[in-house]
Amino acid sequence: MESTVPDLDLKDIQGLIVRGYGSLEAACYVLLEIQDGEAARHWLATLADQITDAETRPSRTSLNVAFTHAGLVTLGLDAEALATFPDEFTEGMTSERRRLILGDHGENAPEKWVWGGPKTTPVHVLLMLFAVDEPTLETFYESVSRGFSSGGVTQIGQTLTTTLLRDAQTGLSKEHFGFNDAVSQPLIEELGKSGPPANTVKAGEFILGYPNEYDLLTERPTVRAERDPQGILPADPSESGVRDIGSNGSYLVFRQLHQDVGRFWQFLDDLTRDANGNSDPEARIRLAAKMVGRWPSGAPLVRTPGHDDPELGQENDFGYHDMDPLGIRCPLGAHIRRTNPRDASDPHLGPQRTLSINKRHRILRRGRAYGQPVSASVQIEDADTSGERGLHFICFSGNISRQFEFVQQTWINNPKFAGLYEDTDPLIGDRAPREIRRASGFTEQAMPARRRVSNLPQFVSVRGGAYFFMPSIRAVRYLGSLEPASPDIGQMP
Amino acid sequence: MTHQVALTVLAKIKPGETENLEDILRTVGADVEENDILPFAQLSNVHFARFVILDEAKNIRNQSIRPSLVFASNVDVPLDDHLTELVTHTGEGLDLIYSHCEGYPGPTQRTPGSRLSYLRAHMVPSQAFYVNTIGRTVEQIHQESQLRDALEDFLDRQQAGSDWSGWDARRVRAAIQGFIRGQPDLRWAERPAAGLPFGWRLKERIRFFVTLLVLLILTPVFLLVLPIWLILLRYHEKKDAAEESRLRLSSQTRGTLALHEDRLVQNQFSAVGNVKPGWFRALTVRGLLWALNFSFRHIFNRGVLAGVDTIHFAQWIMIDEGQRILFLSNYDGSLESYMDDFVNKVAWGLNAVFSNGVGYPETNWLVLEGANDEQAFKAFLQKHQIPTQAWYTAYGWLTARNIDNDAKLRAGLYGEKEERDAAMWLQRL
Repeated sequence: MESTVPDLDLKDIQGLIVRGYGSLEAACYVLLEIQDGEAARHWLATLADQITDAETRPSRTSLNVAFTHAGLVTLGLDAEALATFPDEFTEGMTSERRRLILGDHGENAPEKWVWGGPKTTPVHVLLMLFAVDEPTLETFYESVSRGFSSGGVTQIGQTLTTTLLRDAQTGLSKEHFGFNDAVSQPLIEELGKSGPPANTVKAGEFILGYPNEYDLLTERPTVRAERDPQGILPADPSESGVRDIGSNGSYLVFRQLHQDVGRFWQFLDDLTRDANGNSDPEARIRLAAKMVGRWPSGAPLVRTPGHDDPELGQENDFGYHDMDPLGIRCPLGAHIRRTNPRDASDPHLGPQRTLSINKRHRILRRGRAYGQPVSASVQIEDADTSGERGLHFICFSGNISRQFEFVQQTWINNPKFAGLYEDTDPLIGDRAPREIRRASGFTEQAMPARRRVSNLPQFVSVRGGAYFFMPSIRAVRYLGSLEPASPDIGQMP
Repeated sequence: MTHQVALTVLAKIKPGETENLEDILRTVGADVEENDILPFAQLSNVHFARFVILDEAKNIRNQSIRPSLVFASNVDVPLDDHLTELVTHTGEGLDLIYSHCEGYPGPTQRTPGSRLSYLRAHMVPSQAFYVNTIGRTVEQIHQESQLRDALEDFLDRQQAGSDWSGWDARRVRAAIQGFIRGQPDLRWAERPAAGLPFGWRLKERIRFFVTLLVLLILTPVFLLVLPIWLILLRYHEKKDAAEESRLRLSSQTRGTLALHEDRLVQNQFSAVGNVKPGWFRALTVRGLLWALNFSFRHIFNRGVLAGVDTIHFAQWIMIDEGQRILFLSNYDGSLESYMDDFVNKVAWGLNAVFSNGVGYPETNWLVLEGANDEQAFKAFLQKHQIPTQAWYTAYGWLTARNIDNDAKLRAGLYGEKEERDAAMWLQRL
């Protein structure tokens, strides 16, 4: 029986969900607070014309927009509709429950955040601007921000700028520790691009309104039909009298992650000095690769455990079950093995079933690095590692708790991942999760016996973050059309 | 080594005393191991224990069911030792708690003997009781965990002092054996873990085969009844689907569930719900729980429950004259991963039992749909999960997988091993 692959309504979906705008090398993110709900609604109504949709391949600039729960409240979305959003989004990333799930305590405590935390101005709107180069971005930002004051919004803090780090030899994008990044992105099945089936995922996992990996529709926020008198929103497919404000939208998770590049390489350097106390760059890079799961070029350890092989820098068609069940090639607790266990997450089901379950916990990454690079390569002797740098981590999930939060809680920050006892993710894991005496170790499975590293310092800390809802373009128009709620709507005749 | 049993005590709370009782139990729960009232760390052979208050509820006819207190523990036999400990060592704590319950001996009549009578009078059986690995005692779990810690430290010291290069697995294993020989408090590891008593195992085997035989003999009866049962099932399923609407996850809130109840390594889950009305459902759920218990006792007793290896213990208890089912479990990982495991691996099993509960997502043919509607199922769980005021675990830093690994580590310490087997064994560290 042929399964029908539904067409995506690309004109209604915001472009960033479907593509990362790799050709637009400059990007910045603007956090806004809504001062005047009515003015903001008018501003949104015109902004909707500027939003880049998923059908357009932008050549000069691109614009996308998302909202926090507080933002939707301030815009005037009615309470009944607000209650149809999932708990994670409604509570926000800094609620007590979410902090426990995400491990945001100590250095990562939201009280210390530069934005999005309880001590800073509440974030309402996220404006994302992309342009082909920095000068174009500047001009673009100028023109968009001219509409802020009449639009009843003010910018919160500094614009979040980004840096495109490129590997000098391969031209591929890197992150600040020096590793090629974004090699593994799930492919959306309905977009028809070819790739390994193991890595192809149903659109519903990232875009609301389409079947997810359970072949069901993820619950979408809705509004009563009476509250959409202009009929901007589509009818909800499952409930009558109700309109679908979530369809063609998605949830955007944003976490600004500061990377202490100096501390990372210094720690590894101290651990890998040779018998005379001299640095051993090769051993240092090898240990770093073991922690990541890929070599700096991006080549996966599973395919080339002994040495880097830049030819395999983009290699993403591999599994763990057949080639590396014990973790001898790629350690069981390595970063990429935790964030995407592929066919190796369950010891009792076969690889096929494990893989299909694994597809229910994928995220679509769209973030970019920020801050000046430390050096052109991973050789950082004598480099100046001061200053702020890191990753603006951004990802899309149709179901925040089953996808993003699951990866964070059950894979990254779990000292018991893969049958381990007290190791969390060596790059970004929580070094002091609840209930475990110490979780700052890293185990490298090996023959005859494992090698253990202890007392890993914290290399990455959270500087800011929030859960956003990126609506469809129609939904943005709907938000722009809201009338202030009158008290007697809600009492049905 | 001994097998494990579940003790469940159910007592009605005196009118108006629920809040006081809740305060006391929350004090216990805040420091469950060493609190002044009932320090669980002083009880021996207890794997898990909890106090749960069942708030006043409505049955399917909208009549009130008065609040009760549940005490549930999973212990190594003999049960009598556990009861004796409770009424003597922690007798005063019991008094403080149960004085809020009906029928408890008055202030001048509280002795170990009268306390024991009270507990026995209020014991309720579990219709199904799951044990991850029958025969593994608290002592064995603690010992093997200490052993593992010692071996890991030993390997760390060796690694710091010298290189492994050139050593094969057998040589490393021999070094470990030598290390243990030199540790007086680890010499017990030189012998394998004691097995379950032969007499007990024999009785279990006989029970298993006799039951199968009886079922075989009854097969013609089952075949006769089956079509009738299926017709009734479809009738009931269609009726239930028409009467109940699908629960939305976003409209359920975690509400009063305390934040510390969603822990990281081990977690507990307590839930209660009404059984659907009618003799068909009452009979079906009893039959299924019996079948479930049979499979737990004789089949799923060595670490894995149909693909799920994260559950330590679980109980299903019918209460209030069969009107409600109480479900209690002790498991590993977050609540989200627990629910996902069930949806992904044993949805059919959940459907079979819980579809007899009011409000369960619509099933077809008992095992289809139901929990496969991931969000509706999670909404159902969220609606029926109740707070647990006090929860104790004897090994909260270990997952079931860790415990199993520790046991296999100990089991493989001695005896001849080929290089390959020794290498595989060493990977346990």
